[in-house]
Amino acid sequence: MAYEALDFYDIDSLLTEEERMVRDMVRDWVEDRVLPNIEDACRDGVFPDEWRVEIGEMGILGAPLKGYGCPGLSYIAYGLICQELERGDSGVRSFASVQGSLAMYPIWDFGSEEQKEKYLPGMAKGDLVGCFGLTEPDYGSNPGDMITRAEDKGGHFLLNGAKMWITNGTIADLAVVWAKLEGEIRGFIVEKGDEGFSAPEMKGKHSLKASVTSELVFQDCKIPKDRILPDVKGLRGPFSCLNNARFGISWGAVGAAQSCFNSAREYALSRIQFGHPIASFQLVQNKLSWMLREITKGQLLAYHIGKKKDDGSWIPEQISLAKMNNVDMALEIARMSRDIHGANGILDEYPVMRHMANLESVKTYEGTHDIHNLILGRHITGIQSFTREP
Amino acid sequence: MGVAVLLKQVPDTTAKIGISGGRVDESSITKWSISPYDEYALENAIKLKESGHGDVVAITCGPARAAKCLTEAAAVGADRLIHILTESSLDSIQVQSLLSAAVKESGCDVVMCGKQAADTNSGSTGPGLASSLGFSCVGGVTGVSMEGDVASATRLGPSGLEEVEVGVPCVFTFDKGDTELRRPNVRGIMMAKKKPIDSLTPDDLGVDASNSKVSIKSHSSPPKKQPGQKFVGSESVPEVVNKLREEANVI
Amino acid sequence: MKTTVISESSNGALHPVTAQLVGAASPLGGQITVICPGGVGSSDAAHISGVSKVISVEGDCFETYDCLAWSKSLSPLVEGDLILSSSSAIGRELISSIAASKGIPVVQDVISLTDGFSATRTIYSGKAIEEVSISPPCAISLRANSFESAGEGGSAETTTVDVSQEVSVAVKRALARASERLDVSEADIIISGGRGMGDPANFSHLNEVADVLGAAVGASRAAVDTWDEIPHSMQVGQTGKTVTPNLYIAVGISGAIQHLAGMRSSKFILAINKDPEAPIFGVADYGIVSTWEDALPVLKDHLAELMSN
Repeated sequence: MAYEALDFYDIDSLLTEEERMVRDMVRDWVEDRVLPNIEDACRDGVFPDEWRVEIGEMGILGAPLKGYGCPGLSYIAYGLICQELERGDSGVRSFASVQGSLAMYPIWDFGSEEQKEKYLPGMAKGDLVGCFGLTEPDYGSNPGDMITRAEDKGGHFLLNGAKMWITNGTIADLAVVWAKLEGEIRGFIVEKGDEGFSAPEMKGKHSLKASVTSELVFQDCKIPKDRILPDVKGLRGPFSCLNNARFGISWGAVGAAQSCFNSAREYALSRIQFGHPIASFQLVQNKLSWMLREITKGQLLAYHIGKKKDDGSWIPEQISLAKMNNVDMALEIARMSRDIHGANGILDEYPVMRHMANLESVKTYEGTHDIHNLILGRHITGIQSFTREP
Repeated sequence: MGVAVLLKQVPDTTAKIGISGGRVDESSITKWSISPYDEYALENAIKLKESGHGDVVAITCGPARAAKCLTEAAAVGADRLIHILTESSLDSIQVQSLLSAAVKESGCDVVMCGKQAADTNSGSTGPGLASSLGFSCVGGVTGVSMEGDVASATRLGPSGLEEVEVGVPCVFTFDKGDTELRRPNVRGIMMAKKKPIDSLTPDDLGVDASNSKVSIKSHSSPPKKQPGQKFVGSESVPEVVNKLREEANVI
Repeated sequence: MKTTVISESSNGALHPVTAQLVGAASPLGGQITVICPGGVGSSDAAHISGVSKVISVEGDCFETYDCLAWSKSLSPLVEGDLILSSSSAIGRELISSIAASKGIPVVQDVISLTDGFSATRTIYSGKAIEEVSISPPCAISLRANSFESAGEGGSAETTTVDVSQEVSVAVKRALARASERLDVSEADIIISGGRGMGDPANFSHLNEVADVLGAAVGASRAAVDTWDEIPHSMQVGQTGKTVTPNLYIAVGISGAIQHLAGMRSSKFILAINKDPEAPIFGVADYGIVSTWEDALPVLKDHLAELMSN
């Protein structure tokens, strides 16, 4: 059966022709190239390099950025790209999110003219891969207390410290690394091959297996002075990147949920028990209808925040709500879809268990589910509850 | 010089076809696409353009929704877009007259289209158009290359796969081959959106699009399949083989 | 009423569909002329019952196939209210070209015909049936095996017409087929084997049947997972290829839900399995309860016999 993405409220009719064409292009690519190969990629624990090349050829990296060889698409189009990639696999969407929102975006927004010209055109084509170093082994939800330090040695900076859970790290040509310089968080561009820099891959994941996850290690890592991002100081830098990535995740989660719904529906219609398709049983219909309801709500959240990103009227808390809700929704749908598939649901014949395992990561990365609740709690009450008075 | 590629918009081959009031219910069709064989024609037309045989002129004939397939063609490299706007169902002569007027206007000496369209599966347009234009016609080809005014094409002919040579002007109808279809990219899509579409009516082309000689009496769903028949033992094989031909008509 | 039938040939002889074309024209009454391009099979055509006249059209241009040259040679000889051809690739092309040269409409691949000009055909790859009425004069191509053949015993007068027509399509060389066997994703007929085949070497029996039918050979996941010799590219099912051929023959495949997901939309399904309770019989149009060892040789022989005439 051909894939028909669930679109109960006809979001499709709200899209421009260009947005639809971009969506269909990515959907076709995922169908042709990702789905037939994703289980092998997961089994081998690799992100196939041809996917990088082909994503680059489609010209979707750094989708909403303008100039410097970037596509300059709407945020809605960026969202649709994430939705279709994650319908394939969260790992593929992660590759594009990290490249576009976490590596290209800070260079585009906070970089010098020379930095933009040096890196962005190659990154938009996928010739240069970027990664983003914020989280550390001991500082995840609390990045403000990071340990990684930069020292100004006159002719160069010296970086020391380590970053962890870095998507694309080992395959990256450059890393945007956040480190403290004289006590203040600053962004630095570290290139593969810089002295004192290594990016060993983390192995043994049960989730995002087709995505490269790494540590970044800086041992007296020497980088030239022109690699600091001149235009941002403090947590605002990394957080503005995360807002864009979280926005993409709110759409991506919809794609994963659509994939799980689709598989559950088809399975329920063809699986016969007690002489009838299980789709004819009320308990199964109840599950399918709940899935449809939640996906539809998630689509409306994603679409509306996309419109607000496009007209600039958004606030970060709205993105937190969309990321938190949609990933939570998608994870529950993946679990319920697995349930409808019965024992078959654990097989790699169906995408559901893979999405479910992936979404456990997605729930945690880019601001955990709980942290987004606290962001909203602070917004509602005006009282921050992240830290305690000593 | 120049390659005209004829594109027909059809319901996606995976779309469900609903019938309502004795007619195919077009409003229930969720996805319309370029007919698959036409996509091979388009790919080969762009290849020919890249080898220096002038521009690619994409031509479609159909209602307003059909303009989308022209934009899709532009996204992968079509240079000029012509939409012959028709609303009613046309017979083969009417379609060929419209297309032949558009091809003449385009000045192209090579015409490419699918060997048949995925909706009616007829395959009348290519050879019919060639005949009315007085162009040569090579059907069921999988690839075409040109040297000067001579084209060389690969086709599945009556005696197997063969390479043929033909002079222009010529119509080629395409079968699915090994040719990989190119994917659009964002740059192409953004340029395509800006590309103007020449919208022409049958009147503009001097063709009478009323009074089709072929009128649709009804559409209906195919008869429900018979329940499965089960036979025991290999001695039933001859009977089943006969049924495959007589009942199922599949061999 | 005058009908002209364009005969169909294969391997230098008259193709049996020609008698079916005459059979379709006979109930309309009037005169039936059969035109034989290149003169192939003209004496056999004259023996088809109901044929009034055979025109054997001969000339150098028929040595290779050139649609425009053939159509130009035949067109002046074609007359009447109705022109019929087979809906084979060449049949369709020729009749389209002839119809266009005469400025009359053509309707292709018709499966039933009433009163001459009310025609039924399948559209959207068989997902709907269309009935059209056509104002004569017109041209219609008919699907093979959809009409009763006219019998033998005719003795029509045969005229030979020599034509000379410039050929524009030159055959340069024959090419080897790229691959000897079709891929399951593009075949009209697929024969697939499962673990019930017992040993990967036994797939050779499936290959033999496939050769007779011009079919692709597929496999279930169980077979692909069990035997290294059976490549993943042959796998039909949830994680393999989803196929919709006209005929799917499942041999020694029990019919796990993952396999059914990849092939249940096939137009017709023939299942051969020794277990009468195998789920594959639940989706099969024709089921044969038998071991493959017993069934396949008979299947091959009978198919070979059927395909040869």
